[in-house]
Amino acid sequence: MTLQEFQTLCSALEQEYTAKISAAADLAAVEELRVAALGRKGALTELLKNLKDFSIEEKKTAGPLGNTLKAALTAALETKTADLAAKALNEELNRVDLDLTLPARPVAQGRRHPLSIAQKRMTDILSKLGFTWAEGPWVEDEKHNFDMLNIPKHHPARDAQDTFFAETGSPLSLVLRTHTSNVQSRFMEKHQPPIRIMAPGRVFRNDSLDATHSPVFHQIEGLYVDKNVSMADLKRDLTAFMKGLLGDKTEIRFRPSFFPFTEPSAEVDVKCVFCGGKGCNICKGTGWIEMLGSGVVNPQVLKNCGIDPEVYSGYAFGMGVERLAMMMMNINDIRTFYENDLRILNQF
Amino acid sequence: MKILYSWLKDFIDLDLTPEELAQQFTELGIEVASIEKKGADFEGVNVAQIIHIEDHPNSDHLHLVDLDLGEGKTQRVVCGAPNVAVGQKVPLARVGARLGKMVLTPAKIRGVASEGMICSSDELGLTNTRARGILVLDENIPLGTDVRSLYGKADALFELEITSNRPDLLSHLGVARELSAKLNLPVKMPVIQDVKGEGECLKIDVRDSAACPRYSGRLIRGVKNAPSAEFIQERLAAMGLNPKNALVDITNYVMFELGQPMHAFDRNEIAGDTIVVRRAQKDEKFTLLDGKELTLDENALMIGDEQKATALAGIMGGQNSGIQENTTDIFIESAYFDAPLTNKTSKKYNVTSDSAQRFERGADIGMAVFALQRATDLFLQSCGGQASVISDQYPTPYANPVVRFTPQQINHILGTEIEAEKLKEIFARLALHFDASGPEWTFQAPTHRRDLNHRWDLAEEAARFAGFDCIPTGASRAFVGFCDNPKGVDLLELFAEQLAGLGFFECKNIDFLGEKELQNFGFNPKNAVKIKNAMAKGWDFLRPTLLPALLKNVEFNTRRGNNDLALFETTRTFSLTKGFPTETYTIAGVLCGQLTAKPFFKDPAQKPDFFFLKGVMTQLLQGFESVSFAPCKEAPVYMHPKICMDILSNGKKIGVFGAVHPLTLKTSGIKTAEVWAFEFGIKQLEKSFSAQSFKPAQPAAQFPPSLRDLSVVLDKAVSYAQVQEVLQKTALPVQLHFDLIDLYEGEHVAQGKKSITFTLAFSAPDRTLKDHETDAAFQTLVQALHNSLGAELR
Repeated sequence: MTLQEFQTLCSALEQEYTAKISAAADLAAVEELRVAALGRKGALTELLKNLKDFSIEEKKTAGPLGNTLKAALTAALETKTADLAAKALNEELNRVDLDLTLPARPVAQGRRHPLSIAQKRMTDILSKLGFTWAEGPWVEDEKHNFDMLNIPKHHPARDAQDTFFAETGSPLSLVLRTHTSNVQSRFMEKHQPPIRIMAPGRVFRNDSLDATHSPVFHQIEGLYVDKNVSMADLKRDLTAFMKGLLGDKTEIRFRPSFFPFTEPSAEVDVKCVFCGGKGCNICKGTGWIEMLGSGVVNPQVLKNCGIDPEVYSGYAFGMGVERLAMMMMNINDIRTFYENDLRILNQF
Repeated sequence: MKILYSWLKDFIDLDLTPEELAQQFTELGIEVASIEKKGADFEGVNVAQIIHIEDHPNSDHLHLVDLDLGEGKTQRVVCGAPNVAVGQKVPLARVGARLGKMVLTPAKIRGVASEGMICSSDELGLTNTRARGILVLDENIPLGTDVRSLYGKADALFELEITSNRPDLLSHLGVARELSAKLNLPVKMPVIQDVKGEGECLKIDVRDSAACPRYSGRLIRGVKNAPSAEFIQERLAAMGLNPKNALVDITNYVMFELGQPMHAFDRNEIAGDTIVVRRAQKDEKFTLLDGKELTLDENALMIGDEQKATALAGIMGGQNSGIQENTTDIFIESAYFDAPLTNKTSKKYNVTSDSAQRFERGADIGMAVFALQRATDLFLQSCGGQASVISDQYPTPYANPVVRFTPQQINHILGTEIEAEKLKEIFARLALHFDASGPEWTFQAPTHRRDLNHRWDLAEEAARFAGFDCIPTGASRAFVGFCDNPKGVDLLELFAEQLAGLGFFECKNIDFLGEKELQNFGFNPKNAVKIKNAMAKGWDFLRPTLLPALLKNVEFNTRRGNNDLALFETTRTFSLTKGFPTETYTIAGVLCGQLTAKPFFKDPAQKPDFFFLKGVMTQLLQGFESVSFAPCKEAPVYMHPKICMDILSNGKKIGVFGAVHPLTLKTSGIKTAEVWAFEFGIKQLEKSFSAQSFKPAQPAAQFPPSLRDLSVVLDKAVSYAQVQEVLQKTALPVQLHFDLIDLYEGEHVAQGKKSITFTLAFSAPDRTLKDHETDAAFQTLVQALHNSLGAELR
């Protein structure tokens, strides 16, 4: 065999097998071709047997030629194998028939109580506004719950609170705190301004349980005392708070009111978020929803706590968590919060 | 406080609709609870009958309606009401008619001229329902009837919420004064004849002038009691009172008019000729007008003669001296009684009245004699008779303090820039004396405004009368400062979030429970905080444990078909420590039914067991190195005696977890057989909790462990904890981690024995262990288990 003949056979072999490999229908056919081409008795092996008859010079040409051919066929076989494998995998994947619209497999389903969720939202906003969390006792003496807050004994303002009295061995007359404002007197008694605190928590009123009253409910108190604090500061901070709670378009207004521990006192209304102020059932046609009570800390309260009202001034506000939660969560009976019906709890 | 619009107009000329007036009240800080409209405020509206209806050519909801006006006249109007129908008799307002403030003019509605309108009840001002639809009248009313004649004169009754600092607003005069300052209109005082009177009055002996700083009165002899004048009856009825007779009605009338409570005594029931104002004697008995019998103490203030009491001062008269139908001589009292004293007495004896409500908030001490004159006038008009001179005991005339302030201080409090001139105008209208001639102003309030004592009070008045909208939204100011939440708060929050993540639902319960529940849960009522004035039986104590309420939640939910429950609550519990209340942040939970993270529809149900609960507790508390669990030596009465573990912190018990005792379930009304529960206080945990510090991280192992299974046989009585302790405490030159993989009792081990199998993982931080190292460590453990617990390799 001449070198030229060898070369011709090589390229004929390459052409033949490349075509066959590319046409192979499955992995078995590919394997058959591999054996036929590259196996011990394969076509390439047979062809290479002729090498031994070539001179050294010829071998220098024919040898690499054979190697190149072997590499080319090996590569063609590998490519085809990978192609067929990919195709087979793809077919297998496409044979999967799973109804993806079946219900989700439940993972842990616990929830926080709607009041906790509402309170957390409020304390988070206040926290961002720089208010520090302060706590006070729930069983409180009358001094901190009433007297220091300018709610004197034998005054109708004190009667209005429907107080629970506790029976203890303490020489002080103890009540279940009627508002979170006891934290005001507790905190100011111990700290000089600047003071910027919030006091969330439970309060107690001797009110029978009905759709709008509960003997136990939750409030959040806010108190800011520093030099030059005015009603305008109150309006700014409450506007920011209400925007945080109800959205950026929220507007608030002040309405004069009376609380013994603030002077001037203001009720804060927000423009009805349900009708945009046009008037609806929720705002009783007024366009405004009553949100909370607030005002400038009565100078007598500051004095009672050892803070000089000629140097410092402050504002305070207090709001009912239930009230806000009921509005935001469309709950119209306060008892819903204390029944703990799982079918309600799992909605939030 | 009820305010009748027409009565208010006696004192001030108002030209506002009831809605506009309500708006004024709101701006003043007087909450309007309700407005009840009475009568008709329209003219030129007549009854007409609908005789024909056709569709409006340019609208799909409007109609052209022909009406018969009577006397052969007809009228066509455009009407959009959904309820319009042929044959109805309706109120028709024609061009020129007046509806409230609106006068009807000709209109073209979608191209069709309309010379009038059929009115709804709201449009006539009869209701405020915002309901759509025309008012349909009775078919028997003759055509052409003036609709106004079907309804009374226009009026409105306001129910106002008066805050306790403003007793001066508990009268029509007071409300008129407030509106006068707001609207800058004059107040018209009632014109009274200044009856000087003839003849002696009773002598007045005030023995406690602090309790009664003013007492005035006069006799009227020879009156003839009769029904009071019609307008008085009508107005009192509007106030919610039943008119009785002129003598009684007039005292009430003057109170609602001027705010001064008055009392009329039958002169002939007063012995002697002196009225004595004194404190009661201890245990003095007194019977009120309404028949209620009181036993008084020395604080109560009494009105009487020299022998007996005839009234509980300022609160209620006595049965012994009330006005009768045939009373001929009366003594009228117009006084001022101390506010706190009245409140105290009223509360102590649980007696209240319109009079008491005014005195306890603070009446107008300056009004006593004027009110007496006003009442005299009305008495003489209605009942005739002869008035005596007035006795007026008022030794120390009251004056409000003089407030000194600058306009800058007012603006400083409010954060406003109200002009000085505006402030002057406002204060001048409110003051008895006001001087703004110097840089420092002085203000003195009249006697009916005892609430204006310092500049903060005046700042509020400035804002109210300038309008609260004058308060701007302040410029932002920085506040720099940081303080962590109280630890207990953060810790409870941490636990609550974890529990919710583990499938538990948070509950909130009322903090009260009853004595029986306390005992059922093994708490001594003596150590619980009792509520003196509990609102219901079973709500007498503040709860020392959260579990009773959580079990009630289980009962409530299972009754509603929610059988798979994992509930928790975090709040404070209460107990008495040496008589003083202690409040403890506590967390508790219950678990029953199937796991609330329900299995997928095709998977088998999963029920929680003790070890699931233990897993929850481990998950919650694993960060606290001080915490350990140990089987209860003596379980609480409400827990299963054998399935209950103590939660310990540094060996101190802080709570328990386990199965609830079946009897506790039964008394709680729970039918579910198994309920798991836990409860612990966090006071001990707070000590080791810090938001700032973390446990130092340990590097993750770099070399693979060598694994060996260890299976030993030992006495059944040996607990897992004992085995675990040996494995943990045996000193080894290598690191050990172990997992329990099997526990076996039965035919393959001897009676009274059990087999326990672990996978042991031996490792070192710096190398892969050689087999001989692993073997040696393994043998050490086998030996240790044998020596300590008699364990034999299986």
